[in-house]
Amino acid sequence: MSVAKPYESAKSLSGWRLRLFIANYGVYIALLALLLAATVLTPRLYDVNTIAVVMRQATQLGIVAIGQTMILLVAGLDLSIGGIFIMTSIVVADVTNGRDELVIPAILIALALGALVGLGNGLLVTKRRVPPFVATLGMLVLVKGATQAYTKGVPGGFVPDILGIVNQSWYVISIPLLLWLGLNAFFIFVLRRTAYGRKVYAVGSNTEAARLSGISVDTIRISVYVLGSCLAVVSGVVLTGYVGYVDRFIGTGLELDSIAAAIVGGTAFVGGRGGLLGTIAGVLLIQILGTMAVLMGLDIQVQFIIKGLVILGAVTLYSLANVEE
Amino acid sequence: MLNISKSFAGVRALEDVSIRCKPGRVHGLVGENGAGKSTLMKILAGAYKADAGEIVYKGEQRAGATAGEVIDSGISIIYQELALVAQMSVAENIFLGREPQRGFGVLDLRSLHERAAKLTERLGISLDTRTPVSELTVAQRQLVEIAKALSQNADLIVMDEPSAILAGSELDQLFRIISSLVEQGVTIIYISHRLDEVFRIADEVTVLKDGELVATRPIDQLDRATLVELMVGRPLDEIFPQTDHEQGELVLVAEHISTDTILADASLELYAGEILGVAGMVGAGRTELARALFGADPLTSGSISLVGDKGASWSNPAQAIDAGLVLVPEDRKLHGLFTSLSVRVNVTLPILSRLTRFGVVDSQAEDAIVEAAKARLSIVMASADQEAQYLSGGNQQKVVLAKWLETHPAVVILDEPTRGVDVGAKFEIYKLMRQLNDRGIAIVMISSELPEVIGMSDRILVMNDGRIVGEVAQAEATEAGVIELATMAGSRAERI
Repeated sequence: MSVAKPYESAKSLSGWRLRLFIANYGVYIALLALLLAATVLTPRLYDVNTIAVVMRQATQLGIVAIGQTMILLVAGLDLSIGGIFIMTSIVVADVTNGRDELVIPAILIALALGALVGLGNGLLVTKRRVPPFVATLGMLVLVKGATQAYTKGVPGGFVPDILGIVNQSWYVISIPLLLWLGLNAFFIFVLRRTAYGRKVYAVGSNTEAARLSGISVDTIRISVYVLGSCLAVVSGVVLTGYVGYVDRFIGTGLELDSIAAAIVGGTAFVGGRGGLLGTIAGVLLIQILGTMAVLMGLDIQVQFIIKGLVILGAVTLYSLANVEE
Repeated sequence: MLNISKSFAGVRALEDVSIRCKPGRVHGLVGENGAGKSTLMKILAGAYKADAGEIVYKGEQRAGATAGEVIDSGISIIYQELALVAQMSVAENIFLGREPQRGFGVLDLRSLHERAAKLTERLGISLDTRTPVSELTVAQRQLVEIAKALSQNADLIVMDEPSAILAGSELDQLFRIISSLVEQGVTIIYISHRLDEVFRIADEVTVLKDGELVATRPIDQLDRATLVELMVGRPLDEIFPQTDHEQGELVLVAEHISTDTILADASLELYAGEILGVAGMVGAGRTELARALFGADPLTSGSISLVGDKGASWSNPAQAIDAGLVLVPEDRKLHGLFTSLSVRVNVTLPILSRLTRFGVVDSQAEDAIVEAAKARLSIVMASADQEAQYLSGGNQQKVVLAKWLETHPAVVILDEPTRGVDVGAKFEIYKLMRQLNDRGIAIVMISSELPEVIGMSDRILVMNDGRIVGEVAQAEATEAGVIELATMAGSRAERI
């Protein structure tokens, strides 16, 4: 075990520091740059109403992205989220049929069903060793199919009025925003300061080493999938409240956006690296970029191009930062 | 290569190193792990850029050449991890990316195989050039790499630890080939941990230590002891630290254990404060025995338990750790270390339950443990929050060891604890093992290096074909005796 002596070589040292800096803070710098650019390009971004809209969209994506980030941390992936949104929307409308007093039971039922979907994902990935991409894609199709079979293609029932409270806000503060921030605070604490959080990172970083360290790897992975699905249900309830009716296409694309937000925020696709603060920044980056594109009057197609470029740019930067010597 | 310096992430890898190779000679390059041998060769290959210094080849100044230019100029490097495409044939691998063509991108397969056959002939080996590489032995694959180097008209070939994967007769063949290449005017740089080989094959030896040049000397001016001293700065006889402890109490009993692997009907007893060596050929079932003892592979028959007040038994690693067992696996990067996580997380992972209240980690208690481990094992790191991947190999190893020692084990299973480790680091690990013995901890040590097994173990179990075929006390152990047991025929017949 030869002792590596610190050696001051300004050139390579600064290169290394720069890369670490990009890996750790790149997304925040990008977000800051975007906000600065907006002061010139789209000053209307700073209207209270615009901020409220950005936040409203950010919470939808953000709550799902919490679960997605944790699933990515254990080197997993969840594409079944879209199915859970639709399922949640239908359960809420079907169980309550517009009656406010049944909202809590409806949410509990949706959570239970969501947990089942997550359990299915987790079991497929751990016990049957199905690659997460395939397992959760299959689950997406299964859940979508099941909801359509149940509603026979015509969703019925009404969304209870009480869910409309998600639309109320005081300046930009709203219940969904508080929910998003609260859930983030809670899960940041869990990931950083609890044994469970440590184990999530360990499983993602080196599965076999985690197993040999006495961690029940399968339990951790399954639990993360269940958590992810339950958070998708929460997000689904908020979305249903926003929309106010049963929408068969509710939340379409959020599964991919949530992956994008986490990756842009610095969470590694291969697991074991990243976290929720980065994901928050990633969510805001994606939403603000989209809003700015709208404010600048760009076509929806152009918006997609910009979004794609941002995602590709981010992963390119991270891969530069992660070149191991 | 003159006055080469290079550092990574603020850590110096090479400092002002010069090495001069004469044409048509074998130049040995030795040094401990982390001495800078591989870095130096990667700079030569154009894979890394030197921070300072110059490379002169055949009288030509060649700084900053790319990997492709280096190959074109006649320098080939054969790395430890062979770089062949398993599904492709021998000939296709030799000419990968430079296949003879007949125009319009159509391959000239006849010429391909003819030219490949000529190269294998030049090496004096018989090998069907149409065989897929996946069907070759490791030794044959290495020969394909050498043929590939020759096909690039290489007149300087660097071999990085070529013998690490070879057995006796294969090694003789490699040496024959090296000799014939040298006769043909090829220059060889031969990197190895095994000093016997360096003495057998090299004309000149360069020793590196901690990124600095120690000496370059003709081989006939050196003997083994001098060379080790140059490498380590310590005489050879201190390698195995001795103790005179007495056999302690029985701590662990395994009776007739088998798993789904090759392991069959193994029984052993383990006493406090002893080192039980496990010897055997590769594939004899030693790692499988370690995994079975640790509960990593489920038992299909037999039983394992701790003796005494604990009397515990277990069926998975988590329970084994609780009972007081730990396994330091063979492949640290693959099975031991969390490279993307901090040193802190690495060290305290198995003992989190001791450090948490209501699931929340007590960071002060954690800091104290990490600090203590750092001091005890003299781990060199920037801070406890540094990612493990930025530590040197030796320090990564200490982190893995620290992780397990924190569980206060009664039994430590070490699977190849010194594999790929330099002489100096070996000595540190041996010392640590003795310290553990003094604390009454029983050690099971699996090792492929017979001098190590014989030098360190109180008793040696010899495995062959999944079974324990013999036990030898240290006083009676000889390398020849252990090898005879390990290679004894008939054990398979006995099993059937």
